Amino acid sequence: MKYAIKQLSVFIENKAGELSDFTQVLSKNGISIKSILLADSTDFGLVRTIVDNPERAKAILEEEGFSVRFTNVFGVKIEDVVGSFDKVVTALAHENINIQYTYSFYEANIGIFIFSVEQNSFEEAIKILEKNSIEIVSASHFYA
Amino acid sequence: MTFSKNESLSSSNLKALQLSYLKETVLRVYHLVPFYKKKFEELGIKPSDINTLEDISKLPFTKKQDLRDNYPFGLFSVDMDQIVRIHSSSGTTGKPTVVGYTEHDMDIWAEVMGRVFTMGGLTCKDLLHNATGYGLFTGGLGFHSAAERMKIAVIPSSTGFTSRQLLLLRDFGATAITGTPSFALHLAEKAKAEGYDIKKDFKLKVGFFGAEPASEGLKNEIANIWGIDYIEVYGLSEIIGPGVASSCKHSHLLHVNEDHFYPEIIDPKTGEVLEDGERGELVVTTLTKQGLPIIRYRTGDITSITRVPCRCGRTLCRIESIVGRSDDMLVINGVNVFPSQIEHVLSKINDITINYQIIAQKKGYLDKLEIDIELSENFMSDDVNEFNQLKKKIEHELLNALYINVDVKLVAPRSIQRSEGKAIRVIDKRAN
Repeated sequence: MKYAIKQLSVFIENKAGELSDFTQVLSKNGISIKSILLADSTDFGLVRTIVDNPERAKAILEEEGFSVRFTNVFGVKIEDVVGSFDKVVTALAHENINIQYTYSFYEANIGIFIFSVEQNSFEEAIKILEKNSIEIVSASHFYA
Repeated sequence: MTFSKNESLSSSNLKALQLSYLKETVLRVYHLVPFYKKKFEELGIKPSDINTLEDISKLPFTKKQDLRDNYPFGLFSVDMDQIVRIHSSSGTTGKPTVVGYTEHDMDIWAEVMGRVFTMGGLTCKDLLHNATGYGLFTGGLGFHSAAERMKIAVIPSSTGFTSRQLLLLRDFGATAITGTPSFALHLAEKAKAEGYDIKKDFKLKVGFFGAEPASEGLKNEIANIWGIDYIEVYGLSEIIGPGVASSCKHSHLLHVNEDHFYPEIIDPKTGEVLEDGERGELVVTTLTKQGLPIIRYRTGDITSITRVPCRCGRTLCRIESIVGRSDDMLVINGVNVFPSQIEHVLSKINDITINYQIIAQKKGYLDKLEIDIELSENFMSDDVNEFNQLKKKIEHELLNALYINVDVKLVAPRSIQRSEGKAIRVIDKRAN
């Protein structure tokens, strides 16, 4: 599972100050956020985040009363040229892999797209990408 | 087996008996208790106006505050030379309430408690471990005196000293126990922690529990852990103490000793008498008491009455286990809702806790009910839909069970404010 990044999914209520309660716990404990995605409903939000030390972050957050869960996601390097994101999405679509959500961030001038697929098609998705010579980022790349 | 033939009278004989007792009681309070005479006069009624059981609705209610206002002995209908026992409730919110018993009242108490013990199958051969609090509270001594009269061996263990209680329970081999449901659970936990084998080490076959509401799930749990029959005993000191009603071995409904305590169910807001089967506040009139006869006492307890015959053969009407307190009742767009009912629905749904907070608000002219519910610590998902489905499911269950439209809000575990360890259940923001 070289490519499985342990993403943290955290439940937060949809009210002022909740997100900062969450980010403060991380920053106080010296945990660096590599990427973050907020999914919201009217009442609550789900914070999806990749940090440099997921195990420690989970333990600390749970101690502070947050509900936390790990979800395996993978990251793909994508050049800043037309069609490169499409290539990844199409490769997965051809093999009927359903993308649940995706988000991106940049490191220097390289874009990294994070993908979440159904957990039971995770291995298959990796194989498809390798077959299509798409560069997948190893999980250790993110960890301190 | 029943303790007394009055438990299985025909409906017409029971009614005739109740009516003759009611007339006597009305005469007694009118002539002997100035408080009642004044109330009767204010309503323009005389004892001679009571000619049928239905006429009881003409009579005034008695409230807890009336007992406080007449503290300590103002509502007694006999002189102190007739009183043989005095009990009192705690006065956490004002003056305590005081109740007194004549020799005759003690006989009635023993009679109704004798019925309760018989419902649990006790005879003079049994040993009763009485783990109900002794003292001013009617519980401990109520069980105690009645058990002695039945020649049941009573162990007056009262509450507390859990380890010693377990030792006595095992060594004396008590066959029956009394107490609160929470104490029964506490004893079981302690017994396990101390290495007892509950079913082997103890000889209990029946427990008499009361003084606290208990859900059906909790009752079954206690019955299973201890391997006993769970007999629920209902009572309140203002009426007599334990023994007003109790369940038999055949159902969770409680037989009301209605030849001594006449029950009515009323709408707590309007005071109007409700039909059998409808839920409302239980109101009780003592029919045979002398020391402190009480007319239409507002118990504050919410339940309903059924006259469907019980398999045990008793014809006494039955009430549900208390569903809530009228003080806790919320009226949402005309529908009565009790926090305990909501709790009952929530307790059957996975992935959430029963830590919740009900927030009632006005939206235009309509009432809007929001319930914040803490998620279970084990439940977490990366999928927003799963939360939404859970929310929908809870809303659906509440609508189905209670006919109320609720906006459920899922909140993080341990996020609802606690007061002395307990979550604050209801916030009513509507102007009353």
